[in-house]
Amino acid sequence: MFRLAVANLIQNKTRLAISVGGIALALTLVLFFGAIFHGAQGRLTAYIDNAGADVWVSQQGVQTMHMSESALPASVVDEVEAVTGVDQAVAILYTEGMVQANGKENIAYVFGVPPGATLGQPWHIVDGASAPGPGQIIIDHAIASRMGVSVGDQVTALGRQLTIAGLTSGTSSLVSAVSFVRFDDFAQARGQGQVVSFVLVKVSPGEDPSTVAARIGGQVSGVTVQTREEFASQERKLVSDMSADIINIMNTAGYLTGLAVVALTIYIATVSRRREYGVLKAIGVRNSRLYQVVVVQGLISVGMGLIAGLGLTLLLSIIIPRFNELIILSVSGSSLLQVATVSAVIAIIASLLPARQLASLEPVTIIRKGG
Amino acid sequence: MSEAGLHVSHLTKRFGAGDTEVTAVKDISLDVAPGEVVLIMGPSGSGKTTLLLMLGGLLKPTEGTIQLNDLELNALSERHLPDVRLRNFGFIFQDFNLLSALNVQDNVAIAAELMGMGRKVAVKKARTLLTELGLGHRLRFSPEKLSGGEKQRVAFARALVNDPALILADEPTANLDSSHGHDTMRLLRDIANERGRSVVIVSHDQRIKDIADRVLWLEDGQFKTAVMMATDPVCGMAVEQGKALSADWNGTTYHFCARGCRGEFAENPASFVSHPARVTG
Repeated sequence: MFRLAVANLIQNKTRLAISVGGIALALTLVLFFGAIFHGAQGRLTAYIDNAGADVWVSQQGVQTMHMSESALPASVVDEVEAVTGVDQAVAILYTEGMVQANGKENIAYVFGVPPGATLGQPWHIVDGASAPGPGQIIIDHAIASRMGVSVGDQVTALGRQLTIAGLTSGTSSLVSAVSFVRFDDFAQARGQGQVVSFVLVKVSPGEDPSTVAARIGGQVSGVTVQTREEFASQERKLVSDMSADIINIMNTAGYLTGLAVVALTIYIATVSRRREYGVLKAIGVRNSRLYQVVVVQGLISVGMGLIAGLGLTLLLSIIIPRFNELIILSVSGSSLLQVATVSAVIAIIASLLPARQLASLEPVTIIRKGG
Repeated sequence: MSEAGLHVSHLTKRFGAGDTEVTAVKDISLDVAPGEVVLIMGPSGSGKTTLLLMLGGLLKPTEGTIQLNDLELNALSERHLPDVRLRNFGFIFQDFNLLSALNVQDNVAIAAELMGMGRKVAVKKARTLLTELGLGHRLRFSPEKLSGGEKQRVAFARALVNDPALILADEPTANLDSSHGHDTMRLLRDIANERGRSVVIVSHDQRIKDIADRVLWLEDGQFKTAVMMATDPVCGMAVEQGKALSADWNGTTYHFCARGCRGEFAENPASFVSHPARVTG
């Protein structure tokens, strides 16, 4: 019956193309939004992932960088550095602000990093200096391009005029970008001389970050200590929670569209072959076998639509960043698994309606009337 | 090959109830021996199709029994009937009813595969059967590219592929031209003779009488015995001699379906006698 299902599908190539195309577009919608979200999420934790710290120390109760404020006394740095297994401890300042130039502005995650520190510095410089000097700032090149500025130009950040010393890459997203200033410039601008936001910790070679984190937590009071993975995970979770509703709405719309397309296609394909299915029932084919035909048709249609949708999304993920570097598309394995699973469920649900048609189909009806 | 033997006893089918009750088939008994071709004729609404459907296990009789070999059809539950149909009956339909998405070979092989035959064996059997039926050069063709006669031969192959004991044919020549109609009739006869199948045909086609071992006339749900049939020499329709209009010419009595045919005949009898009146008991 698998052969019949495939043959039924490919017999009307136009209908198959419309069906697969419709499903592909609907699933592309889901995959596309998922990829944008995942891409933005990846950029959101770019600093955490690339700062070089194995352990992050923040104010007690503060588990994320965004939507919270961490303030630690500067003395904490020495306390942390004294803990066994800590190789380096670097204090940084952090705030969410705006970078402005030429009448344009962009949300920025501004980091104040001590000069010469081996942790927390920019990691991918595409132009200019690799660390900000006094009165200087390093911003993402996509943001610079959007604002029409380059190395040597002035921008406003932290309420001061700063000169662009260098440009980074891979540090911006649709909603924000990472910027770097000197620690003392940041402190001066904010008047936070004795306060730091976070302490970045590099553990000694051979030490386990979790173990060191636990030690710091046990020996230093008033702090929350997390490994890099834990900190990044909390950050992603925060953003997921904040975006869950809108993402769910988008996904539901995409799935429902896909369901409607595949259901309609399979229903029409089944009804148009009503007589043929009646013949099969007459010669002795059970309903369950006919259901298999319909379900296989649904699964194949959705499978092809999923592959086409994935291909389209991957293509978009290559093309779109070429036109707008702030939009990063990243298809995650979990997102793909989720879409594939829901798609399979959609195929089965879409097959229920024609299955009912088949169940009620009397083989007698295919015999001519009269006699 | 399974041994065939159809035994129908006191078969009745009623539809509706009370004032709206209609008895489509009344107390019919019939035996069909292996290798026998039985043609059931009769006017529209006489119960032919209802009888055929019951014989094929597609419709439950109200009363009576249908026995095929050791199998009592009406004692079987709905759950078992599909398998019984698949293994014991070959259906041939008026409109061929081939699966348009499958090629000729797969249209036949699918019936064998459904019965549990492996794909390779099923295809081999289908190819052999189709080649025997003169379609060896059409195995990969789509049904829509076949002539009516070829489609009907594919339907025959599908009906035969599971070696059924009984072939049930519903108006097998209705959509065929004269030439293909004759081919079909010859095939039905061959199936009975060479393969030992019992064949029950429901048809209006007078030509089938040439290959039938028995012709039964069904009217008002009952077989009319000893009915003398004749062919209207003008239109070729089967008519019951006792009830039909008649006219004598050149020492022979001719029977007609209506006044129009008799009038036409009367104007120029010689032009119609090339179709001599035939009488069937």
